[in-house]
Amino acid sequence: MYSENLHLPEDSRWPSILTLVIGVAYLGVGVVQIFSSLHLITPIVGFSDLIGGFLLIIVASVFLTGVRPLSMNNQEGYAFIAVGYILAALLFGLQVLVILTNGLGWFLQFEDWLAWNIWNDITPSLWLFVILMTATGSIWVIGNMRDKILGVRKEVPP
Amino acid sequence: MTPPDEPSLDTELLEEDDSIDPQIILADERYEVIGRILCEAYEPGQAKWILSDMLDRVLLHRYLGLPIFLVTMWAMFHFTFEISLVFMEMITQFFAWIGTFTSQIPNPLLASLLTDGILGGVGFILTFVPPIFFLYLAISILEDTGYLSRAAFVMDRFMMKMGLHGRSFIPLLLGFGCSVAAVMAARTVDGESNRLTTILVSPLMSCAGRLPIYILIAGVFFPAIAGTVVFLMYMLGIVMAIIVAIIFKKTILREESSSMLMELSQYQIPTAHGSFRHMWDRGILFVKTAGTYLLAGSIVMWVLSSFGPTGLGVPVEESFAALLGQIVQPIFAPLGFSWQVVMGLIFGFLAKEAVIQSLAIVYAVGGLSLETALLASMSPLTAVAFLIFVLLYVPCLATVGAIRKETGSWRWTGFSVAYQVVLAYVIAALVVIVGGVFIV
Repeated sequence: MYSENLHLPEDSRWPSILTLVIGVAYLGVGVVQIFSSLHLITPIVGFSDLIGGFLLIIVASVFLTGVRPLSMNNQEGYAFIAVGYILAALLFGLQVLVILTNGLGWFLQFEDWLAWNIWNDITPSLWLFVILMTATGSIWVIGNMRDKILGVRKEVPP
Repeated sequence: MTPPDEPSLDTELLEEDDSIDPQIILADERYEVIGRILCEAYEPGQAKWILSDMLDRVLLHRYLGLPIFLVTMWAMFHFTFEISLVFMEMITQFFAWIGTFTSQIPNPLLASLLTDGILGGVGFILTFVPPIFFLYLAISILEDTGYLSRAAFVMDRFMMKMGLHGRSFIPLLLGFGCSVAAVMAARTVDGESNRLTTILVSPLMSCAGRLPIYILIAGVFFPAIAGTVVFLMYMLGIVMAIIVAIIFKKTILREESSSMLMELSQYQIPTAHGSFRHMWDRGILFVKTAGTYLLAGSIVMWVLSSFGPTGLGVPVEESFAALLGQIVQPIFAPLGFSWQVVMGLIFGFLAKEAVIQSLAIVYAVGGLSLETALLASMSPLTAVAFLIFVLLYVPCLATVGAIRKETGSWRWTGFSVAYQVVLAYVIAALVVIVGGVFIV
């Protein structure tokens, strides 16, 4: 049982569905990235890093491992979501730093950065995390609104 | 409060079942005593797990622990390599700008010493200050969060299965920074045989001194996957250390392995002040080395490259450096190493940074840029063999001194140097042979 200070939801049904969706998304994109980097499919811009594909699959496996305990309303599953978010944030933050430093090289017109194109640095680890955070934020807002509405309904006398 | 009952160690159990590790029994007894004291002094409520326990549930997971460790390591080396590139270029441009002045000094000897010797040597090695500082920053952050001790815990499971001592992984991790620190940290390992094994394999871990070589060679020969190549070299260091340790444990250093008991502190959010301070304290040592030993080394290397038996200003192929390199080069001919590379490797016995510095000076005196000369003198396969040789042979003279001090034996010190050189040669040769079969 986790401490109340962590403010974990009582009902794990929706978090388990969200975790499943996130996990499948990371897994799917990771597999596509591996195929793209190995030229097994038409190469996609930003999908050229083979190791990056494997990393996405590891992140996916962390999320997906948490689905089962969450679906059984076991709060231990939240640990997998937390670590999954941390890993996804780590890869995202790293890619942001890469873009910033490459942008600096391009701005200073260094020879190796003259042909630099930001699109090559927009990797799945970057936009997947943006989608992940947007989805999480939306669900959090919707959840809050739902609680408020339900809370108001409860106060209404029958 | 009544004192807890004296713990009794069940010796009969030990005699009956030898398969149970005595350390585990001791640990059980220890925690039983702690439990009894807590029962007396603490009112237990509902079990409350905090965030730290929550994270450990996954980070120390039986199956996910190792992949997560690999992601973290990859992120660390990707950060080190990719982020530092632009800062390295800034330093390169700065020294190139200074070089435009020094090269115009009327005295050609002084101009060559300053431009090719000092700027080409120490100036070149200083361009690797950013990745070394970033590597130390990443290690500091991991240490300060408390993850590095978890990494040792995660690896312990695998090391125990291979008959190794789990605590050995902590010195090995320190080897990412400096091999001397890794050798000295082996003091914490229990058992003479385990400690000796750890001392002997610690130099196989990639230290910060090797990083400039990886970055240069990976950047020149494998620019698209340079960060990954650097990461793989570090992973290869771990794998080789484990394989060699297994061989030692099964042959010359047989001893029963013992369990690792570690108190894992709670995770912390690292402070910017703490992490940057640790980075600075460690990184500044590299700058000091560059300003002292490497500066002296670059002058010696310039003298050897500029002087020959016939006097001053001879072509670099007729210099003392070339003569020395050409004497040893036939041994490395099967690996495809030129005499310039061999010279670099000889100087690398003093410090790994000297490998790149020597190459830069020899090629600069010969009027070639390092990148162009490397591409002309090495195939990508030879470059991989070179990287592996650098990874596996003796890190530096200071490490040899540390091994002598820690083992107290010249015999073990000599053995350590000899096995590393032989191992480096054999593995590099295997890469050339096997790689040659697949490529041709």
